[in-house]
Amino acid sequence: MIPLINTVALSRFFGTGEAMVKALDEVSLSIEPGEFTAIVGPSGSGKSTLLHLIGGLDKPDSGTVALNGTNIADMSGNKLSDFRRDNIGFVFQAYNLIPVLSAAENIEYIMLLQGITAVKRRIRVKEMLDIVGLAGMENRRPAQLSGGQQQRVAVARAMASNPSIILADEPTANLDSKTGISLLNVMKDLNQNRNMTFVFSTHDQKIIERARRLVYLRDGKIEKEETQ
Amino acid sequence: MLILRLAWRNLFRNIRRTVLTCMLIASSLLTIILMDGVMLGMIDVMIGSLTHTLEGEAQINSRGFRDDFEPSIRINNYREIQNELVHDPVVRGASARIIVGAMIASSYNSAGALVYGVDAASEKDVSKIEEAVYAGHFLSGQEREILLGRPMAELLEVELGDRLVLTSSTVDSKEIVQELFRLSGLFEFGPETLDENLIFINLDKAQSLFELTGAAHQIAIRFNRPEMANDPTLNIYKSFNNDQTEANGWLALQPTMGAMLEMTGYSTLIVGGILFLLASLGIINSMFMSIYERIYEFGVIKSVGTRPAEIIKLILTEAFFLALISCFFGIILGYFVSSYFSTNGIPMGRMEMSGIVLDGNMNTILEPYQFINFPIYVTLLTLIAAIYPALFASKIVPTEALQKAL
Repeated sequence: MIPLINTVALSRFFGTGEAMVKALDEVSLSIEPGEFTAIVGPSGSGKSTLLHLIGGLDKPDSGTVALNGTNIADMSGNKLSDFRRDNIGFVFQAYNLIPVLSAAENIEYIMLLQGITAVKRRIRVKEMLDIVGLAGMENRRPAQLSGGQQQRVAVARAMASNPSIILADEPTANLDSKTGISLLNVMKDLNQNRNMTFVFSTHDQKIIERARRLVYLRDGKIEKEETQ
Repeated sequence: MLILRLAWRNLFRNIRRTVLTCMLIASSLLTIILMDGVMLGMIDVMIGSLTHTLEGEAQINSRGFRDDFEPSIRINNYREIQNELVHDPVVRGASARIIVGAMIASSYNSAGALVYGVDAASEKDVSKIEEAVYAGHFLSGQEREILLGRPMAELLEVELGDRLVLTSSTVDSKEIVQELFRLSGLFEFGPETLDENLIFINLDKAQSLFELTGAAHQIAIRFNRPEMANDPTLNIYKSFNNDQTEANGWLALQPTMGAMLEMTGYSTLIVGGILFLLASLGIINSMFMSIYERIYEFGVIKSVGTRPAEIIKLILTEAFFLALISCFFGIILGYFVSSYFSTNGIPMGRMEMSGIVLDGNMNTILEPYQFINFPIYVTLLTLIAAIYPALFASKIVPTEALQKAL
């Protein structure tokens, strides 16, 4: 069976000469569909870099990264944009909703890029908002939502394109403990009930406790892996 | 629709910046509308000054006469032509003239002059000789009436009622003729070349004096609609351009004026271009500020799969809306300001340019194209100015953008 994500000897360096930093050093990792995996490590260990490479936001200096068997390290331009749009959902630390669009419009945006018809978009937006527990808040702008609610909209946006995987970069870092747990429960439900694959980069204990698989990174290398 | 909503709302994320940018674009539009109105007004005054002072909007001359003003080259059937002209519906007035060089002398001094024999009644419809008379009276048909310009009267040291002797030669027999006149009026057109050199007497007196009975050298014409003057399809240009006569509009009679008008058009274009260039820099700056403020957001929307072309489309749509709002206010402002100066005029003082006198207030001229074409140009220019920022935004690297705002 082809793994959902497969990285082989993935390396990413920043800077040159003596100032060169090996953010990732020949990391090989496979993630199967339906996993709820956390990439864990201290700051500077390469968590976000690995997540960005898996998500096609950055290009490796060497190695390959394949999603559903497609090597995205070689993609560029519109092909890469379309691949990200259709296959990968992102949740960022700072929510990063478009402030001038309502919750519903933020979710709708990605479907608009996919060319989905307005009627289908509206149905799916409603469904997404129901899933993340924000029914009735579709017309609120991000500024009218709490941090937790904004991050739920971000999760709904990430799911809207029906991606193969959702990559979440420190999704609870800006949330209080209670809100963070509530959000994680939503994600856990999606993972368990809809078989949605989640990969987190985090050092948040709440995520670490809920993840079924932990990948520990240190100095750009996989230090160890645990399955819970 | 979502892209349109997003672009529209993005404009109001920083209202102060949007208002300032709109003011920049709107004031550029206002300036170009006003400047064009001023230029049209100035051209109108210049053409009016040129054609209505003496020359007329068109002339029929005996063929070859204008080459060196040889008085023997004349129109013998001028009454017939004049009669035809006054019955032409496009013609407001036509006046026949005799033009002969002479010497004028007073008890104190003498000077060379160009004598215009004019018909007092028909000349009123064509030129401003009567309006230019500031002392005494215009020609009334009395035999010994003569009009001098102020500088010539000063040179001859004469006052109203003083005697003047005109000396010349008859056109055909070349015999010297002298005639006594009494100064009946003093005129001042403005251009010194006219005031220093021209004198006016009655047409029939000139015809008898120079033995040109029944003939004229020139017929000056004024149209009901001045803009028709240079229309080559007019009947008068077709009928009176023949072996005997030549008919020309003022543009053909005064080719330097045509060059001046062309230069005026170019200067409008250059000033407008500079103005728009400066406005473009402001627009580019504003768009870049807007992009830098949202750089993290661009990182996010690129991350979720927005194509570079879609980002360009978004920025250009924002620029389009910005231009629309700006043009809306620019058109309103342009209309009111230009209308004000169209009604009240811009005080110009008195100045002479290439023999053309601009005097008093100059009224701007409003034309529909100023409120249609210029806003279209401004909108296109805003879009062009936004291309560079849009390309920049489309090339934002998501990982770099995401790091910048954190």
